[in-house]
Amino acid sequence: MNVLQTKGLSHHFKGLQVLFGVDLQVRQGEHHAIIGPNGAGKTTLFNVITGTYRPTGGQVVFKGQDVTGLAPYKLARKGLGRSFQITSTFEKQTVFQNIRMGVMSRRGIRFDFWRRVAGMDGVTRETEEILAGIGLVAERDVLACELSYGKHRALEVSMALSTDPDLVMLDEPTAGMSKEETHATVELIKRLTKGKTMVMVEHDMDVVFSLADRITVLYYGAILASGTPDVIRDDQRVRDAYLGDMEFSHAF
Amino acid sequence: MKRPVVWLAGALAVLAAIPFVFGPLHTNLMVRLAIEALFAVSLNLLLSYTGLLSFGHALYFGVGAYGAALILTHLQGIPILVAVLLSALAAALVGLVLSPLLVRVRATAFTMLTLAFGQLMFVLCSKFREVTGGEDGIMGWTTPPLALPGLFSLDLRQPVNIYFFAVGLACLGILAMWFFTKTPMGSVMISIRDNQKRVDYLGYQVVLTKAVIFCFSGFFAGLAGAVYAVFNNLVSVGGVLHIMVSFQPLMAILVGGIGTFFGPILGSGLLLLLEEVTQAYPELALMISGVIFILVVMFLPGGAISFGARLRAWWRKRAYLRKARESEA
Amino acid sequence: MSPETQMYLAQGIHGLAYGMLLFLVASGLTLIFGMMGILNIAHGAFFMLSAYLCVTVLGATGSYWLSLLIAPLGVALLGILVERFMLRRAQASGMGHIAELLLTLGVSLVLAEAVKLTWGTEGLQVNVPSALAGLVNIAGLEYPIYRLFIIVLSLVVLALLSLVLFKTRLGTIVRAAVSDPGMVSALGVNTQIVFMLVFGLGSWMAGVAGVAAAPILTVFPGLGDQIGMDAFVVVVVGGFGSLFGALLAALFLGELNAFGIQFIPKLSPVLMFSFMALVLAFKPTGLFGERE
Repeated sequence: MNVLQTKGLSHHFKGLQVLFGVDLQVRQGEHHAIIGPNGAGKTTLFNVITGTYRPTGGQVVFKGQDVTGLAPYKLARKGLGRSFQITSTFEKQTVFQNIRMGVMSRRGIRFDFWRRVAGMDGVTRETEEILAGIGLVAERDVLACELSYGKHRALEVSMALSTDPDLVMLDEPTAGMSKEETHATVELIKRLTKGKTMVMVEHDMDVVFSLADRITVLYYGAILASGTPDVIRDDQRVRDAYLGDMEFSHAF
Repeated sequence: MKRPVVWLAGALAVLAAIPFVFGPLHTNLMVRLAIEALFAVSLNLLLSYTGLLSFGHALYFGVGAYGAALILTHLQGIPILVAVLLSALAAALVGLVLSPLLVRVRATAFTMLTLAFGQLMFVLCSKFREVTGGEDGIMGWTTPPLALPGLFSLDLRQPVNIYFFAVGLACLGILAMWFFTKTPMGSVMISIRDNQKRVDYLGYQVVLTKAVIFCFSGFFAGLAGAVYAVFNNLVSVGGVLHIMVSFQPLMAILVGGIGTFFGPILGSGLLLLLEEVTQAYPELALMISGVIFILVVMFLPGGAISFGARLRAWWRKRAYLRKARESEA
Repeated sequence: MSPETQMYLAQGIHGLAYGMLLFLVASGLTLIFGMMGILNIAHGAFFMLSAYLCVTVLGATGSYWLSLLIAPLGVALLGILVERFMLRRAQASGMGHIAELLLTLGVSLVLAEAVKLTWGTEGLQVNVPSALAGLVNIAGLEYPIYRLFIIVLSLVVLALLSLVLFKTRLGTIVRAAVSDPGMVSALGVNTQIVFMLVFGLGSWMAGVAGVAAAPILTVFPGLGDQIGMDAFVVVVVGGFGSLFGALLAALFLGELNAFGIQFIPKLSPVLMFSFMALVLAFKPTGLFGERE
């Protein structure tokens, strides 16, 4: 069954067409990577699916419901979580407080102003479990802005997962990381998304091939190919599209 | 017992003792402090906790003050607490009515819009003299006693009684806001300040949360205004809606320490002391305000409260060095 | 021409003159905002100060034209000093735009009081320069020449501004920065000097407007309050940093003001704010703005 499906999704900014009728299908439980050369419209596709912009044409179907143009908070409540390419945490708050925001949302605690949040033992326990799972126990009371780059990125990804979404969308989770940090983050994502449906945009082909069961190639705002890593690897059109892209050819 | 509880009990004991230790003159000063502090803390909820700078908070203060004056003038026999609460609710209602516009703008646009609304109310209240008395304002109503039928009745014209009335309400209000910052919704509020986009993507309704905060902040600003009306027995546009009424609590927050909860209370106290000292030169009041804004922003952005923290750090460092020297010897 | 048409025409030109004056003030304000992200609350006070400087220069030299040259330069210099020694320090405070707003608010309060201490609180009159005194006949309507001069002067200053913006290197940098704030440092320019110059230029425009307005208004300490507030409305409505938006908004508000005073004098200040609220309700970034 498809958890997420887009039908003829298109989008333009002030007359500049970025997406041309994208039909993306993401099945239950799969790890799906969206790749493509720079300017292919990957981030726009992401933003249109997660409610940042309302698409100028087409439909987004999530868990069988039409969610086209729904506000981000509504999508989040329906079970869609996302991370950002540019780290976007609550920088002046501790790691614990950052994750707790996700836990509160997961439990539907949103307009509660008659109880102390520190006194909610369930929330505290669950937050600490998540911290243990992502290996940030030692950094529990460190401000997010004081984390090392790799750990800050890990927090970014973990926040997307902290609401326990049915579908998590990661926008270049390893952007700007060193080799060791990338490796650690790939392991983290593998562990955290086990049994979950995940969609990611990624430039690093090593990351793509070690995480994805299925790959969709976006090229000038349209889908060029979609299939298992092996199929994509051997697709001649994909090779042509990437001709000259060192990173990609290197990966083969 | 937990430390905060001890602190709280101590502070309340001191507050309760003040009128008996000092005379009525100083209790009046304390009433003004209570009103200013409550007002400043309500504004601080927006400034330090939601990251929004308002230049028009006098709007809520004024609605609360005019509300109390109108209710006490026209509805004789209404219990004083009901009148004060209704006035505060009116201010909260104004916050609710304006919130569809206020939630849409951020940063400088928010500041300008609040400035506009504040000035708008000032103009309206100056022009509609039939209701508000225009420049002269409303005065001379009989303030009913604070009473529970058959139990007690306190005449609020007595300094000691108005002291307990004002300080009591201010303490309750400030404690309620302090508690609010510690609740889940308080966490959402702080997170909106830090990163509104992320709050949205985590599944929280930013718009509705902000609207609730505006009502909340407006309610307590209105409460401060209502207490002001009861205390002064006079409400005029110049006294409760003028733009300087919006700037006063801003100054208190800055002087005390932006980004802290208790800074504004300290700041209100310091400003009141300054006012007492410079009272002989009223024409210098605006100049002093301006200089304070400039100096604090440039040289002490953490406010007076950060001074305490700096002092503590310095003291700790000294103790540490001394210990190091001793262990060396 | 019927008296009614005459009234409409007179109010129309009145509105145009005020609108152009307003645009002169607001364009300096929006230029600074577009470049530096700072809304200078003291802008109205700069306008007022310039009118006072005009009084003094006029008293010393007797020449209105000399004061039109000197007073705005004095204000520009003050603007540069405020930017160099105060704003730059405020920006390091970590409070973001809040620090800048509060600091410039402080500057405006201090200026208003300093003016009272120097020139007193009495209103002062500036005579219309003799070359521009008198009336001109527009289709049967007797209209003061000086108000037409304000329109012309505004156009001249704006022509100068567009020359700077479109023909100089400074202008290129400013335009790049307004459309993309991240660009400036990427251009490899000494941004600090550019900021200082832009702040000076914006203040100078407020100064020119102040001198231009002095002969038709009484010079008093609260002179800048009304136009300063109106200029904020113009900048917000037109869209932060948008000169074209500011032009439309200023002209519209000028007319709104003129006819508002004519027909509903009691509520004319309310019109301005209501209009601003209305625009923000539908477009939070203002008519032609993309930033908040």
